[in-house]
Amino acid sequence: MYGLAATKLEEFEQGKISRRQLIQSLTVAATSVGAAGAASAQGQVGVTPALINHVSYTCPDFRKAADWYSKVFNLEQVGLKDDDKTHEVTLPFNKMGEQPYGVTAKDVSPTFLIMRSRDLNAPAANGQARPKATNVVNHMAYTVADFDSARVQAQLKALGVQNIRAAGPNAIHMDDAFGYDVEICGLANNALTDGA
Amino acid sequence: MERFIADLVKDFERGKIDRRQFCETVALAATVYAAGSAAQAAPAQGLKMLGVNHISYACSDYKVARDWYMKVFNLKSYNDKGMGRANLAFGPEQGKGGQFLITRNFGNNERKAPAVVDHICYTVANWDDARVNNALKAAGTNPTGRHGSVNVYDPNGFQVQIASIEGENPWI
Repeated sequence: MYGLAATKLEEFEQGKISRRQLIQSLTVAATSVGAAGAASAQGQVGVTPALINHVSYTCPDFRKAADWYSKVFNLEQVGLKDDDKTHEVTLPFNKMGEQPYGVTAKDVSPTFLIMRSRDLNAPAANGQARPKATNVVNHMAYTVADFDSARVQAQLKALGVQNIRAAGPNAIHMDDAFGYDVEICGLANNALTDGA
Repeated sequence: MERFIADLVKDFERGKIDRRQFCETVALAATVYAAGSAAQAAPAQGLKMLGVNHISYACSDYKVARDWYMKVFNLKSYNDKGMGRANLAFGPEQGKGGQFLITRNFGNNERKAPAVVDHICYTVANWDDARVNNALKAAGTNPTGRHGSVNVYDPNGFQVQIASIEGENPWI
């Protein structure tokens, strides 16, 4: 609603829409929000993710991790923050303006990795203590286009990737710069086939 | 380059640089970029990545995590044979860019690496702050956050973030 209001206001200021149109469009939108709120009050339980937005990866040297993922995955590094408080950089899977693969909705962010170095025991940004997680994300898997196990393994070897091992015809595991288990797969590896 | 230009536009709008400085800087950047592109014209060795395929989430009882994610994220479970793992699908059609979360029991040889995935953020389309917060509360969670982004903790104390394209975007 906030974004829509800003857009409409800008259109109004630029003379693209009249005052009447501004009022009408915001009124309709505000009414719809109210209807949505009423719908949720009537029992919408949970939300439906459209895609992974980002993966937050914390390690002793974020630049070293970022360089590994940039080299092996061909990812650009954007938004470097390296000051007294923050040590991180972002690696999107798409170029700016590109749609994420398979997504048609226009309001779904491209997935990105955030490589960080930080104290995981520090309070959250809102000052609240973080619970100690009892699970572990023991590997992350990424999809590569035109997956061919032999060709991908050869490419990885050429890039100096360590501990490469095939996991069936559709997936390959390897170690990243910190020995974290990374898997790459083709599109054939999915929720219907993995572990079937 | 895109980020650089975006920052430049911002500086121009804020009056930090004038029109002439803006145009000169863009021209200079284009020259430097062209030189760099020529130098890097050799084919890249890396892979063509499409995105995340899946998250492998290990815990002491996969069923607890499975049920929580199915409820909070309205996910459907596949390949749960009662053998300690389940695949929870979301996003585009599976095999066409769809992603999934594997909830699984700890293995015998879980590796310890000095790196950790400390949270995952999921995008929700057609975002509305009130609707998202209400729906998460109705699912039994306690969301906290800001406009376009909320955080909850799953039953294992793992941070789960949910955001709009504006709340979490690599270029904003």
